[in-house]
Amino acid sequence: MKSSLLWKRVWRHKLFYLFMLPGIVWFFIFSYVPLYGLQVAFRDFTFVGGFTGSPWAGLKYFHQFFDYYQSSAIIRNTIIISLMKLLIGFPMPIILAILLNEVRHVKFKKTIQTLSYLPYFVSWIVVVTLLQRLLSMYGGPVNDLISSMGGEPVQFMNNTTWFYQLIIGSDIWKNIGWNSIIYMAAIAGIDQQLYEAAKIDGASRFRQIWHVTLPGIRNIAVILFILATGSLMSAGFEQLLLLSGPATANIGSVLDVHVITSGIQQGRLSYAAAVGLFQSGIALILIVTVNWIARKVSDVSLF
Amino acid sequence: MAKLRLKAVCSLMGVMMLTGLLYGCGGGGSGSGDGGGDAADGKGTTLTILNNWNGSSGPDTDTTPVTQAIEEKTGIKIKIDYTKGSEVEKVNTIFTTQDLPDIYTGPAWGGELDGIIKAAKEGQLVDLTDKIDKYPNLAKAIAKENVPPALYEKAIGGIGGKKYMMYQNQPATGNDVNDWLYGFYVRKDIAAKVGVDPQSVKTKEDLYQFLKKIKDANLTENGMPVMPLGGFHEGWAVGIGNTLFYGTSYVDKGDGSLENVFFTKAYEDYTLYYRKLITEGLLDPEVFTQTDPIANEKIKQGRIAVLAAHYPAILDASKDYVKSHPGSNYVPVGPLERAGAEPNRPVDLSIQGNNVTVITKKCKDVDAALKLLDFLASDEGFLLVHYGVEGVHWEKVNGKPVAKKEWFDKFYEDTTGKVKRNEGITIGLENITGMDRINSVGGGDIWADQDRLAAMDNARKILRPNGISVISAYNPGDVITKSPDWETLKPSMDQMGDVWKQAIFAKSDDAALKVINDLRDQIKKTGYDAAMQYVNEQLKGKEVVKLAMPN
Repeated sequence: MKSSLLWKRVWRHKLFYLFMLPGIVWFFIFSYVPLYGLQVAFRDFTFVGGFTGSPWAGLKYFHQFFDYYQSSAIIRNTIIISLMKLLIGFPMPIILAILLNEVRHVKFKKTIQTLSYLPYFVSWIVVVTLLQRLLSMYGGPVNDLISSMGGEPVQFMNNTTWFYQLIIGSDIWKNIGWNSIIYMAAIAGIDQQLYEAAKIDGASRFRQIWHVTLPGIRNIAVILFILATGSLMSAGFEQLLLLSGPATANIGSVLDVHVITSGIQQGRLSYAAAVGLFQSGIALILIVTVNWIARKVSDVSLF
Repeated sequence: MAKLRLKAVCSLMGVMMLTGLLYGCGGGGSGSGDGGGDAADGKGTTLTILNNWNGSSGPDTDTTPVTQAIEEKTGIKIKIDYTKGSEVEKVNTIFTTQDLPDIYTGPAWGGELDGIIKAAKEGQLVDLTDKIDKYPNLAKAIAKENVPPALYEKAIGGIGGKKYMMYQNQPATGNDVNDWLYGFYVRKDIAAKVGVDPQSVKTKEDLYQFLKKIKDANLTENGMPVMPLGGFHEGWAVGIGNTLFYGTSYVDKGDGSLENVFFTKAYEDYTLYYRKLITEGLLDPEVFTQTDPIANEKIKQGRIAVLAAHYPAILDASKDYVKSHPGSNYVPVGPLERAGAEPNRPVDLSIQGNNVTVITKKCKDVDAALKLLDFLASDEGFLLVHYGVEGVHWEKVNGKPVAKKEWFDKFYEDTTGKVKRNEGITIGLENITGMDRINSVGGGDIWADQDRLAAMDNARKILRPNGISVISAYNPGDVITKSPDWETLKPSMDQMGDVWKQAIFAKSDDAALKVINDLRDQIKKTGYDAAMQYVNEQLKGKEVVKLAMPN
């Protein structure tokens, strides 16, 4: 009875569901169909056997990863970089959205918004090339400026001292605008009467942010935080591949890059799949745990 | 009515998006079978060739005078794809995704060859055992006497008793050996400024002092500092100073048995020497992370005093700067001493540039592929591919090919090489022309200008005072790949290069040695001792490579 009601409702809103269809098909084809390939983590991949016909290997490749002398360092690096991105990078779009919300000059606000979105559409290879040019010790404008002020040139790239700053800074610069869109939308949805009531009560702009804006975007922030914890085992493949060099390998080698180098460059597909599966397994556990904590603490959760 | 229209539009949009998505997933419907005429004699067949050499590139269109001439001779059209990026990655990708060309050609060493051997073992290549003898030019190039012994046993001679691979570019005669003249080269004007005769630099200490003098001179170019030592993309080939410390990758332990040089004191000394160069600002710290365009930019701006690479690359990269700054050409440093080699010993060269070619299981016409390859490996094919069309691009004078002035000038003026490629020359086909006969059959590099030839000759005189000797002994590096432990050992051994780079950037000498020792432990743990025991058993009584210079 209940299900026939559901289908009736679906049929009534079929146009909206039709709009969802391409998204659903996309997810099905690119996110669910490839799941069958996970079995290769438990097989000895051969060209002739492929994903389904290669001989079973059990947990051989998981053992290989944990026996690998740098596995703990790679996991540690991944978690450190992801945690830093989460803790420093996560509040940034919220701050930007709130600041933009306080801007009253519409044209200025729109310009800042557009400028902050732009880096999101620039590929990492371009961002890193730009950084290399800007920060080069030989003719880079940043070092030229430092030298002109009497300072010694600084080697920013391929230097452990500046590695985290570059990784986190470039990540924030690239994503802050795009990630702020959802908060802007959430802020736009806050009832304006709440602000007016706060004003009548004598609340300053800061108090209005504290007591109206932040509670208004709390739920969306919690949900995005839960989703972000799912990426804790993934520090960002392209960025780390391009920004990490031999000098920073001890703190810059991460799981994503290890998966690609062992899988594609060394041709160890089963091993790479095993490492990738381990990465995904931990991510799933993290999401479920954080979701559970969020539900207990704030009544906001994904599921 | 409006609602109905909206519904219709929405439905149409949905269907269009879905169709587009599914079409995109299907790869647009093009398969590997397109373009083939499949005639029994190969006529009208279009064969795809993957030229798996990083950075190679082709003409603007598939049809060039040279490919047209090939089609006239064989009836076969060709379409060449090129690799931009890692060759190993490409090999692994094509077989994993089954996006296979008809003909594959690529390096005859390292992970690239390992990938091809794996493909042969797993039924991805055409077995040529019963076919190859019908094609004399191909058969000659894989004859045992024309292939380095360890490579013959490892791959060319057969995998599981079956022959899959064709072999190219091994010099046919001593006169055909291509010596790339790897070495350290200094800008003549800078050497003069710091008052050092480049030929007086002989030892590692001399080299260090020379670089230090350049550093201490605080030279600048357009307000930017000049770096004492630099190289090209990802550090190529600054590490060639290794020959100052050890002879080759596998050395005698002293008891007649071999071990990988990574486990020796000489390797530690080599690492710490380079660490000193980095720490003291003598080696460009960006060298291992830079791309070729950035490396070339530094050279074009005159910001690198000493370059380590092969000479043709240095001549190409410095051409513009030298043109605008006469007297600033790069000249050889040394010859530097070679660890373990008598001073009067000819330089031991391994032959690089060697090529392995295979026909994949998806080849639409195996006989046509063999016919094509056999023609390219003939003398006629060799001359056509290397020099262009006879009578158009070159002509024979006293029996030897000589470039026509019109084309020589056109190619000389075009620094990009595009004009030459559009004629069908240097488009990758030169990798599949059988044994290298550039001097014995051809007339050398007929497109090189006199200045370049003179510079190469001068460098050869300086760096090869005792001549050269082509290595024909067994290379333990080839033998170890046949050991039963290789599968588990290879991932650890593959990291030696990366770990060396990490070590030279370490905070201290101790930290550098720790980085090396950590990998040594891992290599040991993954079967090194058993693999080396295998190598030593296999090579007992055989002549083994003890000295090798990069080439």
